Amino acid sequence: MLGDQTVLIATGTALLLIGISSISVSRNLVKSIMSFQVSVFGANLALFSSGLGYGSHLLSDTFVLLSILVGASVEAVGLAVIVLVYRRYGTLDSDEIRRLRN
Amino acid sequence: MSNELVPIFLGGALIASVAVALLSRRVSVSLIALFYASLILGLTFTFYGDALLGLVTMVTFAGAVSVLLLTVILITGESSLPMGAKSVGLLLIPSAGAVGAFSILAVLQGTGVAPTSIDTSLSAMAFAWSNRPWDLLVLIVVFASAMVTVVNLLGKEK
Repeated sequence: MLGDQTVLIATGTALLLIGISSISVSRNLVKSIMSFQVSVFGANLALFSSGLGYGSHLLSDTFVLLSILVGASVEAVGLAVIVLVYRRYGTLDSDEIRRLRN
Repeated sequence: MSNELVPIFLGGALIASVAVALLSRRVSVSLIALFYASLILGLTFTFYGDALLGLVTMVTFAGAVSVLLLTVILITGESSLPMGAKSVGLLLIPSAGAVGAFSILAVLQGTGVAPTSIDTSLSAMAFAWSNRPWDLLVLIVVFASAMVTVVNLLGKEK
């Protein structure tokens, strides 16, 4: 179980880092939301695997459930904002939006 | 496949699908890869004995959020999504293959139960707690159908 826990925590950390770095690199707003989803996946997996080594992992499960709900809500709001931004500026390129705003 | 290889397989599949999702130029391919990543994460939770968490992950991310992303992609017109038989096959065949692989694994490990022995006296969603991977195929078919329906509804508006 300890080996499984190590592999899953490493995977979760890798996903979190990939997601965060992709958010900062991505120019497309939809891709940014997808990167955010990837980082939520990583956080969930790391939280879940942190409770694997112990008998009862009720606390980590509760945190993962909370994280899923918060992540999905943030994503839904972000997508709504993206639709509004697209209607106003006609593009989803963040650099182009910044240029149009100035 | 021994038990030691399962977390490596699941983690590798998760990172591979996420890499495809983030590196692909086409948003539709990214969406399908992210759909698979959500399913793999749900399967990971299910495999480690937390079927409820796996179900919630799949319902929330592979179901609701994927359909929401699909709707936004179609509204913004970022990518044309040809959801014909080929795309549906792309969506369903790997999912069915993965579920089949997990079913064989469960049977080989002796944790699997014959599908005919499902206890119907339990509640309607009891399969989610009973850790039988092939039952997840039902969820996958429902989610894929929802995605194809949304594409068809919005696609005809254009």
